[in-house]
Amino acid sequence: MKRINRRHFLCSGAMFFCSAMPSYASWSFNGGDAGSGPADIRGKVFKGDAPKKIWKWSCEGRYYKRILNDKTVCGLCPNKCVLSPGDRAVCRGRINAGGKLYSLVYGNPCAANVDPIEKKPLFHFKPGTSAFSIATTGCNFRCLNCQNWEISQAKPHEVRHTELFPPDVVRAAVRSKSSSVAYTYSEATVFFEYMMDTARLAKEKGISNLWISNGYINKEPLLELCSVLDGANVNLKSFSDDIYRKLNGGRLEPVLNTFKTLHERNVHFEITNLVVPGYVDDEEMVKKMCGWILKNLGPDYPLHFSRFAPKYKLDRLPFTPVSTLTRFRKLAMKEGIHYVYLGNVSNHEGNHTYCHKCGKILIERKGYFINRDNLEGDSCRFCKTVIPGVWS
Amino acid sequence: MKRKNEKSVVRVVIATGISSVVTQLLVIREFLVQFAGNEFVIALSLFSWLIIGGIGALSARLITPRFFRAAAVRLGGLSLFLTVLSAVTLLSIRYLRDFFFIHGSSVGFYPTLLYIFSITAPYALLLGFLLPYSLYVLRVEKNDFPSYRIYIADNFGDVTGGALLSFALVYLVTPMQAVCIAGLPLLFAVFPLFFKNFPGKVFYSIGAALTLTVFLGGIFLEIHSLSPQKGKLVYYGESRYGRIKVLQDEELFTLFSDGIPVYSNQNMIMAEEVVHYPLSQLKNIKNVLVISTTGGMMAEIEKYKPETIDYVELDPEVSDILFRFNLIKRVSGLSVINQDGRAYLINTDKTYDAIIVNLPEPETFQINRFFTDRFFALARNHLTPQGIFSFSMQGYDNYLAEPQRQKLSSLFNTVSDHFKNLLLLPGQEIVFLCSDLPISRDIPSLLAQKEIPTDYISRFFYGNLTQWRIDELNSLIDPKTPKNIDNSPRLMRLMFSQWFAKFSTSPAWFFIITAIILAGYLFRLHLEEYVLFSTGCMTMGCEIMIIFAFQIYFGYIYHQIGLIITVFLAGLLPGAWLGNHLRHHARKVLLFTDSMLIGMMFCFLAAYIFMGDKLPVLFYIMTGFLISVACGCQFPVALRLRSDDNSSVARAFSADLAGAAFGTLVTSVVLIPYVGITGAAFGLIAIKFISLILVRVSHEKN
Repeated sequence: MKRINRRHFLCSGAMFFCSAMPSYASWSFNGGDAGSGPADIRGKVFKGDAPKKIWKWSCEGRYYKRILNDKTVCGLCPNKCVLSPGDRAVCRGRINAGGKLYSLVYGNPCAANVDPIEKKPLFHFKPGTSAFSIATTGCNFRCLNCQNWEISQAKPHEVRHTELFPPDVVRAAVRSKSSSVAYTYSEATVFFEYMMDTARLAKEKGISNLWISNGYINKEPLLELCSVLDGANVNLKSFSDDIYRKLNGGRLEPVLNTFKTLHERNVHFEITNLVVPGYVDDEEMVKKMCGWILKNLGPDYPLHFSRFAPKYKLDRLPFTPVSTLTRFRKLAMKEGIHYVYLGNVSNHEGNHTYCHKCGKILIERKGYFINRDNLEGDSCRFCKTVIPGVWS
Repeated sequence: MKRKNEKSVVRVVIATGISSVVTQLLVIREFLVQFAGNEFVIALSLFSWLIIGGIGALSARLITPRFFRAAAVRLGGLSLFLTVLSAVTLLSIRYLRDFFFIHGSSVGFYPTLLYIFSITAPYALLLGFLLPYSLYVLRVEKNDFPSYRIYIADNFGDVTGGALLSFALVYLVTPMQAVCIAGLPLLFAVFPLFFKNFPGKVFYSIGAALTLTVFLGGIFLEIHSLSPQKGKLVYYGESRYGRIKVLQDEELFTLFSDGIPVYSNQNMIMAEEVVHYPLSQLKNIKNVLVISTTGGMMAEIEKYKPETIDYVELDPEVSDILFRFNLIKRVSGLSVINQDGRAYLINTDKTYDAIIVNLPEPETFQINRFFTDRFFALARNHLTPQGIFSFSMQGYDNYLAEPQRQKLSSLFNTVSDHFKNLLLLPGQEIVFLCSDLPISRDIPSLLAQKEIPTDYISRFFYGNLTQWRIDELNSLIDPKTPKNIDNSPRLMRLMFSQWFAKFSTSPAWFFIITAIILAGYLFRLHLEEYVLFSTGCMTMGCEIMIIFAFQIYFGYIYHQIGLIITVFLAGLLPGAWLGNHLRHHARKVLLFTDSMLIGMMFCFLAAYIFMGDKLPVLFYIMTGFLISVACGCQFPVALRLRSDDNSSVARAFSADLAGAAFGTLVTSVVLIPYVGITGAAFGLIAIKFISLILVRVSHEKN
């Protein structure tokens, strides 16, 4: 056999590496239930990306540790970003400046609207009322189908914002006759300090606080948050860790822990599951998810199956068929969940609230037009069963 | 020495041209289906193909004398391999996409670029290599075999391949079948090379059998390679304009056009938004014009009981499929007009109470024509005095990002010249309502007065479209944003910005690296090679500009655009023949053709600016033909000046391809969007002018 010379070796090597070029992103591949393609899209720390000066809308972060060489470890969410001075965290809203961790999103919401509470969605929390909704930039996830990617995947300095410090938020909520303030749209956990300070003031004024979140938060800050929360809607994006890593850039376990904590602290919450075709529309997964909910949280927390629409980067998939959602609703109810709703589907029985005991309609929803005549206080008018939720 | 291979090799070159052009067009089309179908990706696909081809041609000069001596049988083997690669490349694009990227997701600029480069590289490198290599094989037998004959043979193959695909295969067969049919002449053409040079015909038989197996395998895998991960593929077709697939998932039917889910039978929100926001404003509706549609739209229009609904859809296959799968309803008074919407409006005298434009985002020059100053004026002229014109852009949920704000502002400023009242309504789509009469924003109450039932608007409008949200959107319009006009499509630039913003990326590094490599390359070019480079650049730039300009006045007319492209290739043949006959006056010919190219460009620009809509189709065809003749003429002449040795020929082929690559990229994504058609023409003239000066100065030196 002819021996290979150095030139041949180098040429062959170069050809081999050229053929491997498309895997440049050093993505790891797996053939698991999440299919092919990159297995994990989790965000990375932005090295040296922090602004030189701390701006007006900043405050020192509450949950972090200082370690060697002025590095900080953020303790707010399970990403636990280790930041050297000048670094920016995965969420884009927190930086290390001179060995201290700062939030750059305090009093500078880039979105502020008055929304029907059903839009959050919250169906068992003061139906028919309005929520003054605010968001700053930033998110600790990288969801490919994010509907608010313009702010969730942006840095604070990149967007227009209004100045609305906590007392201003409360005043605006009162002025707009909103019964609650919702921390929503992007990821409320990222503006934790702003949310906490606002929530305390709102509570003093008798305004409810709503946390609309992906639930990716550590236990310690969550416990503090629970002390001011009145309601929450937490996304359970799927019941598969593989899909969490692939479509959302997060992990499942911390989200499940969040549900357990909210349940332990008696915070009213509702669960939203976006049914992404080809990924989350698996009956077995729904059964497993319902089993976990029943075992760990009980049957009374409302579950919303939300319809997927092609958005942001996940724009080459079709909508979720309505029949899939209908089937999942029936399946979840058969498994034992008492209140199962359909989101992003109008004119469907899954929009209404039925008494889980007698099956009569209690709250009829025609979009944002609510008829709650059959709910007396917190009970079914027909069989007097107490319906879980916050009704007034 | 007996020239036993001459005819065979020339036949192989022609057959390679046929196969390669068909493969090239199908590969570019496939990239558009798999990735964003915007002008950037179109340009990148063509750029990659040409630049890698140029590298392949250049590599023949380095590889052949040292490692791979010219031999007919080797040419035959490589050509067989190229034939196989055409099918493999097409299938790889489909199968590897979901291997490297997440299924169902769109892909950003750099991953797209890398994917296109990597997948195109094996085929384009080999193709580029084979052109000069064929010449080297011929020169083994006849040392002075003229290179221009290979150039002519290649171009003849290219013209044939282009015409074959554009005017026949695209109507009759699927892409895999087209690649196989176009590859068969090459499969037969290589046979004599083996027969005459290799004692064992067995080798050819094995090679041919393998090729046919791959072809048949490819055809067999065609449907499999297009099948969805979820649901069932219930329709697949390749029209002149793109790929149409209909997927069924339970009761949901979705029509995918070039990989994007465009129509669905369960997207009532969009159908209600685009229909009721404009039509609810009108008191009496007789005639409605719909330019393209959305699922469920006709049923919503029917609620107003208009006398006629003219539905204009460019692609007849799309409208047929929409009806077949009940994605739109056949309602009373509906007429389907399969024509370019803009061309239809130019040619009709009919006026309408409402014109609803329902096209995708203006990501290509073709779609951009429906969002320009001249189009808005055209639409205005076809409206009754109390009529309403509406179109929509992609919506947002809670924050209007800057590139999108600029896009909306540009559109607002453009359309506001033609209507007294304008209102933007946010939602799944941002709907522009334009009329001379006052426009009401309380759509549910208008619908209630007319007793028109709706599913979404009646239930969700007041919560989703609060006065505050409507006011905020309308107040964010920037009056200083430049208008989008036909000759200077600013909107394209904003669309690029929006695409880059979505992936948090910037093309800056790509352009910097390309510019550095280009500068290094240009620095090493000889004068004659620079002439060819600049001609390649100008020819491709002109082709893009002429098609762009043609569409503005005539609309997207498939056959005529196909004819312009064919003419651009065909002109090279008489040009090369002429150049060879005039090669003894080489320098004068170069000066003349360079001057002619510059002059032609000036003439085209002047005619376009001053005569515009009065120019006949023939003008565009003749301009293309003459530019192409001048380009073809220069190749043999430049080689005559430089030297017709093997190395120079490879460098000349390479310069021509690199110039074409650069011309494609710079004209499509820089010149036209940033400086408009006039600026683009002057940019191309400047590149050619440098060539003219260099030839002139060099002449004086000599």
